[in-house]
Amino acid sequence: MTNQPAFPYTPNEYEAEKASNSYLMSVVVIMFGLPLPIVNLIASVIFYSANRKAPYFVRWHCTQTLVAQVVTFFANAAGVYWTIAVVFGGGEVTNNYIAYIITILLFNLFEFAATIYAAVRTRKGKHVSWWFFGPLTDILVKA
Amino acid sequence: MEQQKVDMFLMTSGKFFEGYQLGAIKEKLTKLDDAKLLQLQSVNLKDPIIMLIVSLLGGHFGIDRFVLGEVGLGVAKLLTCGGFGIWTIVDWFLIMGRTREMNMQNIQQAMY
Repeated sequence: MTNQPAFPYTPNEYEAEKASNSYLMSVVVIMFGLPLPIVNLIASVIFYSANRKAPYFVRWHCTQTLVAQVVTFFANAAGVYWTIAVVFGGGEVTNNYIAYIITILLFNLFEFAATIYAAVRTRKGKHVSWWFFGPLTDILVKA
Repeated sequence: MEQQKVDMFLMTSGKFFEGYQLGAIKEKLTKLDDAKLLQLQSVNLKDPIIMLIVSLLGGHFGIDRFVLGEVGLGVAKLLTCGGFGIWTIVDWFLIMGRTREMNMQNIQQAMY
């Protein structure tokens, strides 16, 4: 799910700390804003905005967090909307609904684990690129 | 400025800046006149650790931003109760870096 390709340069201590903070912040916000998926996305956007002029390594990892949060937001928002429809709208608990909830639960668990792993590795100055989100970030962030 | 005074200044104030900024500060201080030392020592540098504690305790009311001198952001944070709690959490991870940046700006103003 994650790999560690070579980065164009070796980041210094200050860059590693800031890049790691983007993942760490994401983990803390998940704990505080768990029922509302939008909270994570807003926090990631604020953090990215604050670091948009930061060095390449920091920007890259902030963007990877943001891209992952955008995808997670849409997946979770659909799940929350469907659940509200089932609970308050008199909807039916179908097999499709259960399958979707299990899928987003697993997706969130993987994302949570990958975030913690990335926070630890980037703090040591190692570059961590996630499956799908990493190559997407490469396209979005210019050195 | 004498090398000894420069080293003393960096030893006492080094923690207020990012590691990569110290080289530039040292270089600038070496070229600076001795008379500027008193002016430099009177610059109000904020401790990043203290600012983190302020942010943890008073971040919901924007006190951290007020202390840093960013009154506009402080008022915005105060009126939104710390950006409905989200901005407060994000600031826990940003405030130390921001404090060091502000310290660098303040010392640069004093040096020129």
